[in-house]
Formats: sequence, C-alpha cells, structure tokens
Amino acid sequence: MHLTDEQLNEYLDNETNERVQIETHLSSCGECAARLSMLQALFTELDSLPEVALTKSLAAPFLTTRSLPAPLPKFLTLTVILQAAFALTAIIIAVPFVANLLPAIEISSLMEGITQLQAQWINLLDKLSTFNLQPSNLPTFNLQPATFQLPPLEISSLLMALAGVSVLWILGNGVFLRNQR
Amino acid sequence: MPTDRDLILQTRRGDADSRAAFGELVTRYQTSVFNVCYRILHERGEAEDLAQETFIRAYDRIHTFDIEREFGPWIRRVAANLCLNAIEASKDTAELDDERDADSAQLPEAVYEVHERSETIRSALASLPAHYRVVVELRHFQELSYEEIAAELKIPLSDVKSHLFRARKILAEKLHASH
Repeated sequence: MHLTDEQLNEYLDNETNERVQIETHLSSCGECAARLSMLQALFTELDSLPEVALTKSLAAPFLTTRSLPAPLPKFLTLTVILQAAFALTAIIIAVPFVANLLPAIEISSLMEGITQLQAQWINLLDKLSTFNLQPSNLPTFNLQPATFQLPPLEISSLLMALAGVSVLWILGNGVFLRNQR
Repeated sequence: MPTDRDLILQTRRGDADSRAAFGELVTRYQTSVFNVCYRILHERGEAEDLAQETFIRAYDRIHTFDIEREFGPWIRRVAANLCLNAIEASKDTAELDDERDADSAQLPEAVYEVHERSETIRSALASLPAHYRVVVELRHFQELSYEEIAAELKIPLSDVKSHLFRARKILAEKLHASH
C-alpha cells in the first residue's frame, strides 16, 4: 500500500500528524520516496524563483507633496484676530446688560415703528397712484416728511447688536475661508 | 530608523507627514508586493497597477489595520486577494501571454539559463486556474498554513488542499516536461 498524494503533500507542508508512519513507509518504499523527491524538487524550483525588480516606484504618489494654497496675508489674519478679540470683549460687556435688561426691552415700541413705516409706505403709494401729470399740478405735489421716529436706543441694545454682528462676521469668515489653508 | 509600526501610527495621524510616512512603507514593501502580483498575473504592467492599487487601498483603510500584526505579510495577502478578484472580474482564464524581456538573448549563458528557467516556472504558474495560482502563492511564497489560506480566501479547508495538490501536480508535469 503506497502513500497517497495528500499524505506526501501534507508531509512536506508539515501539516500532518502521521510523520513517523510516513517516514517509516518512505524508508522502505522506493516508489513513494521517488514521488516525494519529485514533489520536493518542485518546492525547490518554486523557492528558487527570483524576485523581479520594479521599473517604477510605487511610493511616488505618496511622496509627492500636494501644493497647498498660499497662506492668508498677515493683515487679514491680524484682522480676523482683532475681530475675534473685539467680538469677545463686546459679548463680555453685553452679557450683564442682556441678563438684566432683556426682559425690560419693550417690543411694542418696535412694532409701533414698523406699523408707522407701513402706513407711510401705503400713503406714498396712494399719492403716487393719484398723481396728476399736468404741469400746474407739479408744484402742488409735496411729499410730507416722514413723521416716523426710530425707537429709543439703549447702550445695551447697541452692544448686543454689535456682538451679534461680530459673531456673524466671524462665523462668515470661518465658512468662507475654511478651505483656504 | 522608524519601525513599520511607527510609520503606520504616523500615517494614521493624518497630518502633513502622514502621506510621506506611508510612502516610506510603500518603499519598503513595493518589490515584494509587486512580485506577488507578478507571480499571479504574469504581466508586468498589470502587476504594477495591481500593486499600486494594493497600496492605495491599504492607505485608505490604514485605520482598520490591526497594529499588532505585521504589515508585510498583511499587505502581501491583500495583494494576492486583489489579484484573484481582478482575474475573476476579467474572467480571464486563458493562458496569459508569455512575457519575456526584450534583451534576454544578450545575457551571459549561465544567467540566461536561470532566466529561462524562471520564465518557464512563471509560465507554468500562469497557466494554472486563478484559484490554484493564489493558493500556491499563499502557501509557497507567503508560507501560510492550510487553515490560514482557508480563512484568507474564505473557502473550505478541503478546497485549499485540493487546489494546492492539483496545482502542484500540474506544475510538476509541466516543469518535468520542459526539462
């Protein structure tokens, strides 16, 4: 009974638990020893296969540095820093006012202003629609100056507005300039 | 000199030097990875393309690499799998063209004989079905065990053995006939 191809392969691959039995058989069977020898020769041939050199470097795509856009001008960087500092200062100053005075701000005055502005606009449109192109009528056209008055401004409102605008400005800069570096 | 592990960690940081760190890894392993592809594909241009693709994929997935493993064996196994996928995708089961260097006739006789024998072995390898080629590559050149090959290729252990043993039988016959 000869060894199977599987036994010979597994023996050479060190993947068998029957090494002793296989070796015992090989020592007494010339035919199986010859088959093993042929298989071993194949292993040697495969092992002898030399490595082939590359004709180009595969590392090149990773070693080339991507060209970065030019850094922002110094004055622009400085401006952004100053804006940030100014906005932060404004926020710090505004916080106590906001905390104390926000509930006291009368929204109604603002609404009144908007209502007045809307009335003036309607009035103006009305006059324009009834305007007569006769020359004699021209001097009589007299648009009354607006009686609208701005709602009273307080320092807290001003600071809040300033802080808000500054924050928006910084955020805007961040959005527009984020891909510049 | 930084170790492979150092370079992988540097690559993972994703800073300005990360690509260069990976480039150093590529420099270290590009020849062995290329040879994996060349043994399986037996076509230089295609082998270089697949080797390049191997490194690009490895770079993209460097965060998933187990840092406790060795990079070299891992990247070579990735290359072998990529080659197998490429062969299956192209459905190219035909025997590949025999590729020979144009100036091989000018080599000294002893070198020429070695060169010719190498080409014979490569041609014999290239004539094998794709799965056989990859199993031979993983067993003989990457020295994986049967079980490791089965796990790598996601095939049963019995298939690993049958592919490997049949491949060896075919190779032995072809190489014996060419002597």
